[in-house]
Amino acid sequence: MMNPKRVWVVAERDVRSLLRQKSMLAMRVAWFAAQVAFFGLIANYMFREDVLAAMGGSYLEYYVAGMVVTMLYSTAIFIGYDVYEEADHGVVEYLLSLPVSRRELVVGRSIGSGVRSLLHVGPMIVIALYLTGTPSALQLSTSLFCLFLFAFGASGLSITVAAALKSSDRFDILMGVVDALAVRLSTALYPVAFMPSYYGGLASINPITFAADLFRWGAGLESALLTPPLLAVVGIVAFSSTFTFLGVALYERRLEGGGWR
Amino acid sequence: MAPIIRMVGLTKRFGGFTAVDRLDLEVEEGEILGLLGPNGAGKTTTILMLATVLKPTEGTVYIGPYDVTKEADKARRLVGVAFQEPKLLWVDSPWSVLNWHAKVCGLPSGERRRRIRWVLEELGIWDVRFKSAHSLSGGTRKRVEVAKILVQRPKIAIFDEPTAQVDVVGKHKIWGMIRELRDEGSTIILATNELHEADVLSQRIAIMHRGKLLVCDEPRRLKDSIPGGDVVEVSFEGGVPEMVTEELRRIPTVVEVSAARQNQVKIYLNRAEEALPRIAELLLRLGLQAKSMRVSEPSLDDVFAHYTGLTIEEAQRR
Repeated sequence: MMNPKRVWVVAERDVRSLLRQKSMLAMRVAWFAAQVAFFGLIANYMFREDVLAAMGGSYLEYYVAGMVVTMLYSTAIFIGYDVYEEADHGVVEYLLSLPVSRRELVVGRSIGSGVRSLLHVGPMIVIALYLTGTPSALQLSTSLFCLFLFAFGASGLSITVAAALKSSDRFDILMGVVDALAVRLSTALYPVAFMPSYYGGLASINPITFAADLFRWGAGLESALLTPPLLAVVGIVAFSSTFTFLGVALYERRLEGGGWR
Repeated sequence: MAPIIRMVGLTKRFGGFTAVDRLDLEVEEGEILGLLGPNGAGKTTTILMLATVLKPTEGTVYIGPYDVTKEADKARRLVGVAFQEPKLLWVDSPWSVLNWHAKVCGLPSGERRRRIRWVLEELGIWDVRFKSAHSLSGGTRKRVEVAKILVQRPKIAIFDEPTAQVDVVGKHKIWGMIRELRDEGSTIILATNELHEADVLSQRIAIMHRGKLLVCDEPRRLKDSIPGGDVVEVSFEGGVPEMVTEELRRIPTVVEVSAARQNQVKIYLNRAEEALPRIAELLLRLGLQAKSMRVSEPSLDDVFAHYTGLTIEEAQRR
């Protein structure tokens, strides 16, 4: 059985690391604001009325919601880089020697990374909601909780890959490829209506699509959804559970024994 | 007393390299066991298996009633490790490291702050508690690593080279605090290649070399196990009469007697403290007046050399 207190103490360590990333956070918010203010706004004028209708009437709103999710994903996978930094400093051995179970360690770290990522994109969520508005507090809260679950799952994915590869170079390359494919084969930045059918099939089972759809639902952009909210929630829960389970299994097997590069 | 740690055929292989080779060793509750050996002897690998960081390839370790290969989570709760290399991220401060460590070990808030303050003050690093690790000296980082365990106060405390890079005053402070921890009931494993440290702290010393346990006993008995390891040098006013050498050889614990100089004999023997009265008595009986008597006992380096044929320094170089 996992002890929730121990899990939270483990999580807290990663959440606190956000305080060390103030300048990075400021730069990302500035980058996000510029991306929305220039690219999002200008692109909005480039589309015909019928195209805009497929995205709920405004590309700017569609785009800003999708951008929040892609940033949440890229922030969540940062935990994998933390694992490598810790391996460089020998902190992995220290973490493995602590009086917590491997499961508590991986789940705690995934939760910590999930919370940290959500806090990190918090200012961007505020900007997005300023532009889109929100229909109800309950819908928004549900949507934000699902975004947390998504970030939790992406963190589990990152820990799993980091533990499996044990090489920061390979991790960097692989996560770059995964990021390119996962973001582009999703409805984060463009609707499925304009994708070839074989792309659309992959997009419809992509966790980034589920997260983007749920955030749009929370922001009241319901006409732009590909997946019904309940199905998207199921998809995100499945994604999070799978990678947490794999993370636990691999963390135990692969981290014991060293061999980090 | 029942052993609190029991290693049974403990083995760890990395590919074709055997780092620890069928280690059988028991540690009694409340003792300080020194794990002595040169770099590469297998001390750190053994510690990592005790701490459940590494899984044994063969054999196992019982930590209290728990087999680490089956109940690692329970075993881990009894153990705390101060690693050889301080495990700190460059951005961490001593306070944040210790506070989080104490929290994850389940110390309540008030007790946590009290213990951290006490340990940081005792180790002389209170003033740098909020500085980031990259601005601290190697010795200070090492003190922070040791401080984790002094704050945690686990049932089994493992220190891997606890005073490496620490100055003399700091060394004595750390030794004192390790003894205090033992006096409170913790069992201590002290891995070191510093002979003096092992000698002054340990009740028993296990000597490892190339992954194998060579011998484990009390320091005094290890030194006594070297035949003729103690040396008594006796200087006389005049020359050394030949019959003295013959008479000295008849004392049961004497192994060898040689004339070092014209007026000096060197007696190689076991347990010099027991033979000294007999030597004095013999000299009196023969009417000889000794100018000086000097006793020297073997060091742990001599013990290591006796069992391996190498000094620790030679073994490190290989």
